[in-house]
Amino acid sequence: MIMMKMKMNTEMSQSEDGEINMAAWILGVKNLSIQPYPLPSLGPHDVKIRIKAVGICGSDVHYYKTMRCANFIANKPMVLGHECAGIIQELGTQVQSLSVGDRVALEPGISCQSCSFCKGGRYNLCRGMKFFGSASTHGSLANMVVHPANLCFKLPDNVSLEEGAMIEPLSVGVHACRRANIGPDTNVLIIGAGPIGLVVSLAARAFGSPRIVMVDVDNTRLSIAKDLGADETILVSTSIQDMENEVVQIQNAMGCKIDVSFDCVGYNKTMSTALNATTSGGKVCLIGLAQTEMTLPLTPAAAREVDVIGIFRYKNTWPLCIELLRTGKIDIKALISHRFGFSQKELEEAFETSAQGGTAIKIMFNL
Amino acid sequence: MGKGGMSIDGDHGEEQNMAAWLVAINTLKIQPFNLPPLGPHDVRVRMKAVGICGSDVHYLKTLRCAHFVVEEPMVIGHECAGIIEEVGSEVKTLVPGDRVAIEPGISCWRCDHCKQGRYNLCPDMKFFATPPVHGSLANRIVHPADLCFKLPDNVSLEEGAMCEPLSVGVHACRRAEIGPETNVLIMGAGPIGLVTMLAARAFGAPRIVIVDVDDHRLSVAKSLGADDIVKVSTNTQDVPGEVEQIHKAMGADVDVTFDCAGFNKTMTTALSATKPGGKVCLVGMGHSEMTVPLTPAAAREVDVIGIFRYKNTWPLCLEFLRSGKIDVKPLITHRYGFSQKEVEEAFETSAAGGNAIKVMFNL
Repeated sequence: MIMMKMKMNTEMSQSEDGEINMAAWILGVKNLSIQPYPLPSLGPHDVKIRIKAVGICGSDVHYYKTMRCANFIANKPMVLGHECAGIIQELGTQVQSLSVGDRVALEPGISCQSCSFCKGGRYNLCRGMKFFGSASTHGSLANMVVHPANLCFKLPDNVSLEEGAMIEPLSVGVHACRRANIGPDTNVLIIGAGPIGLVVSLAARAFGSPRIVMVDVDNTRLSIAKDLGADETILVSTSIQDMENEVVQIQNAMGCKIDVSFDCVGYNKTMSTALNATTSGGKVCLIGLAQTEMTLPLTPAAAREVDVIGIFRYKNTWPLCIELLRTGKIDIKALISHRFGFSQKELEEAFETSAQGGTAIKIMFNL
Repeated sequence: MGKGGMSIDGDHGEEQNMAAWLVAINTLKIQPFNLPPLGPHDVRVRMKAVGICGSDVHYLKTLRCAHFVVEEPMVIGHECAGIIEEVGSEVKTLVPGDRVAIEPGISCWRCDHCKQGRYNLCPDMKFFATPPVHGSLANRIVHPADLCFKLPDNVSLEEGAMCEPLSVGVHACRRAEIGPETNVLIMGAGPIGLVTMLAARAFGAPRIVIVDVDDHRLSVAKSLGADDIVKVSTNTQDVPGEVEQIHKAMGADVDVTFDCAGFNKTMTTALSATKPGGKVCLVGMGHSEMTVPLTPAAAREVDVIGIFRYKNTWPLCLEFLRSGKIDVKPLITHRYGFSQKEVEEAFETSAAGGNAIKVMFNL
């Protein structure tokens, strides 16, 4: 087991009562270890949060399996986790919007707030983004973290800490529904009934979509999708030969024009299906990031003015997600399929469970 | 052989109406063209200027374009302008003698697309020279009055015919939301790339870089106002280097890229060169199936906008031409009269590409 040298001079690894802050570090491929995690000092606009609930994301699993995610290769140990909620422990000197004891959901990414993307409101595209558990910014699967107060959102009394942690994946669905202009006129096709497809379906319904058809290769996932409110589900294959027939099935199941398709998987077949199934003038929203280079019938789609909308994380979604959970317009609890505590053994089990997919939708740590 | 014989609307005792018919692959014949009777909302127009489009050439060479197939002889041509000869009984907006530019496509006006203003997507669109609808390279045609737009006095009939290709550029600029803050990259300096460039400038784009494989086309683009030009290859390996060159030439982020060619390489370049949150507008239709790095682009929220023809562009085009904000005249490189020999030559010239940008018939 690798123990890391800690820089003790500028960081606090021990709180005033002697508690050592522990976190889940990825040390190498499939090598997770709970070890001390010194926190930076509290800036005037920061808060310290005792983390209570953390969900595992596909990107966390990707680091676990490969020590890389997209273009980033992790070459030193890093704390994982970014879907989180907790209780405020300490306030920076200038923080007035929160109090000690407040239950908060955390938005992971700290943007620079000075580039043209940030100033234009598209801070999710900030090139200097520091995001929990990504590209050498430590994550939040830890006892405590320090974070800017403006990225901590107070939870209503009737919204649990686990639901607070679910706001992060839900935000992807909400951001996608905004970019795709989902509303009472938009009939929606969702390709992929994994966690992302499911949060997209919940968000689409909350935005008013009248009809939602979901497709997947896995019957279990489809039945969960049906339970969560999909109007129709269709089992599809991974074979591109079947695409033409599947598009017909999908259009029949919808019974009317498909205005927006969300590809929550991101393969040639799923994207081709989406491009072919969507009505002229409609949109295909590419959320899934499976395949880098894709071979697609792009021109016939473009020649019907089917636009392709890209999605990267989210922006300004926490307040809306909180409201949707508070009013019950979205019930996210059903997505939490497995729960684990914060011990070395459970950490390893949790990641293995998440990595296997299948009946595991959202794995949640309770700290 | 198509419908021959005398025009049925011969009560004015005029000459037989002749048109350029596509009768077989690579075979155009000037033959009689019977016009339908004039409906109450129609006008009859004497054609004066007709441009040749890449799609006309494609039909000539292959008898097809996308999924449309020419199964019977068809009159070719759709970029046109002329003089009103006669107006239908209910027509109040036009009079004989009016010089008009003509929007080719007659949509159904009943479907959802039409009612929502996206009539270019109407599934029942009847479009000049898209089979089985006859085109407008003819002495005279009959057309709905609402699709004929009066030319300002200082706009010529040839410029009127140029409104059709210019409309593609205008529609693309609208869909891509071009304005004073959008730096624009254009892939391809053919007729469509050039009208897109002219439209982008008219919409206020501050900086326009245009790329092509052909030096002559690049120099034409420069003379028409491109801020910078970059020569590129057809080799996909060259993409990273070319993206760097493009960024240097732009000197700023690329906000919107128009792919006016539509090949794997041009689309790959476009997706790679455009800034996060920007747009790539796919105008060209080179390849049906494309292999492109779509995911990295989507993960930077670069959207891909599709373009099909245009909608509600004639009034704006005519205003741009009237005010001089756009000068399309330099795009007309070759002119021909309306005889069998000249029709054949004109199409050969257009098909050869090279120095030929817009080939125009004067009737």
